[in-house]
Amino acid sequence: MSEPLLAVEGLSAGYLGEDVIHDIDLTVATGEVVCVIGSNGAGKTTMLRSMCGLLPATAGSVRFDGVDLRRLPSHRVMRSGIVYVPAERHLFPGMTVAENLALGSYPKRPDPAQLEIVYRTFPRLQERLGQNAGTLSGGEQQMLAVGRALMAEPSLLILDEPTTGLAPVLAQEAYGALSELREGGLTVLVAEQQVPLALELSDRGYVLDHGRIALTGPSSELATDPEVRKAYLGI
Amino acid sequence: MVAVLIDGLVLGLQFGMLGVGLTLVYGLGGVVNLAHGQMAVVAAMVAARLMDRGTATALAVAAGILSVVALGVVIDRTLMQPVYRERSEHRVLLGLLLMLGVGFIIDGVLEWRYPIEALSLRITGGPVEVFGVAIRRGSIVASAVIGVVGLALILFFRYTTFGRATRSVIEDEEGARLCGINPGAVRTVIFGLSGGLAGIVAMTQAMTSPVVSTAGVGLTIFALIVAVVGGLGSTSGAFLAGIILGLVNTLSAFYIGTFVSSIILLLAAASTILLRPEGLLRRA
Repeated sequence: MSEPLLAVEGLSAGYLGEDVIHDIDLTVATGEVVCVIGSNGAGKTTMLRSMCGLLPATAGSVRFDGVDLRRLPSHRVMRSGIVYVPAERHLFPGMTVAENLALGSYPKRPDPAQLEIVYRTFPRLQERLGQNAGTLSGGEQQMLAVGRALMAEPSLLILDEPTTGLAPVLAQEAYGALSELREGGLTVLVAEQQVPLALELSDRGYVLDHGRIALTGPSSELATDPEVRKAYLGI
Repeated sequence: MVAVLIDGLVLGLQFGMLGVGLTLVYGLGGVVNLAHGQMAVVAAMVAARLMDRGTATALAVAAGILSVVALGVVIDRTLMQPVYRERSEHRVLLGLLLMLGVGFIIDGVLEWRYPIEALSLRITGGPVEVFGVAIRRGSIVASAVIGVVGLALILFFRYTTFGRATRSVIEDEEGARLCGINPGAVRTVIFGLSGGLAGIVAMTQAMTSPVVSTAGVGLTIFALIVAVVGGLGSTSGAFLAGIILGLVNTLSAFYIGTFVSSIILLLAAASTILLRPEGLLRRA
């Protein structure tokens, strides 16, 4: 079998000399949608940030498309084909929707075909092109964050809790858009507290507990696992 | 009266451009460049020394401006690196103190080596009639230069990829990094650009009155007031504030006296902070 698109081995990272995640092994193959589920504070964000170089890892390796990401500063990681969308989104509030999208394709000029894909997925963004990002509603801001990430034409999209701050209906809608993108062949790694939505979308999943991978397997199996059902699905 | 207004406008455009340079560096990295005026004077002194040795004016002016672009880049790459590693207040305070030091050093060296040096750029030709008022040709050229550079800046920040990237770092540094933008590289380029803008202001000032080697502190203070009134981080705000303050300064100097005009300027700045803490153009 050929090397997976993303291969994380033995990754540990944390803050102020204290590791929060320990010895993480994780892979994502091209075309797959993989989810990382776990409760608040399990280390999901720490794990994603250390993969992307936004937080220095203390041990382990992260290989993406044959490149060792731990040697790259975060802005180089984002140009290597990975794009990370944090839960806080980090949009540019004083700039227009159009400008936010254009910056997604930095350093290239925005590709019209790619813009078309973003508009098709999120028609609302097209209606609001001239509006400042700071004036958008929460749901629209999430669309813009994903739209901006798509402008980089990523080979792997990493999402951290895309449903943060969204009402249940909007969370459903966001996952609807993600499943459309998945049909389009996008490879996605998503960390999520909304476990049912994440398991429904993904092919495989990892359960993160106290900074360690507690369980992994196909999402359909995780959804019927008694432990998972008890801990995250409330059944 | 009209002549005074036009003088004020010319001065205001120059203030505005000084403020833009200050505001950009602050917006990107949190550094209040308290040596901004001194950098302008360095450009003037380089040009003046070269002209004393017989270098053609245009070449001397270009060399003067480029020398402070280089100075800005070097300061950013060396002295400012530990500053950018700090966060929030520590960053602002460390940057402010280090740049204050740079200002002292520049002032000291200039006072020691070139105490009586001054740059004058004579624009030949008589006064020009505008709206029935005779205006010095130097004022016209100076305004035209600032106007063209200012317009170029606004277009640059609005429409070019690098200009937008610069604004994105000012808006959200982490977001910029997520887009593949290297905030450090942007800061270096803009620190150089800011130096260049200070240099251009020095050259335009020299078209109407000599720029002396001790002018730095005064220019820094004007730049600071303009940047505060315009809202730190806002380019068009800085220009607007510059023009208003230029007019206030010239009118009060004309009708009341120079000493009082600085007090009025500071009052204007202080009331802006009280009434519109986000700056003239910022929405709260």
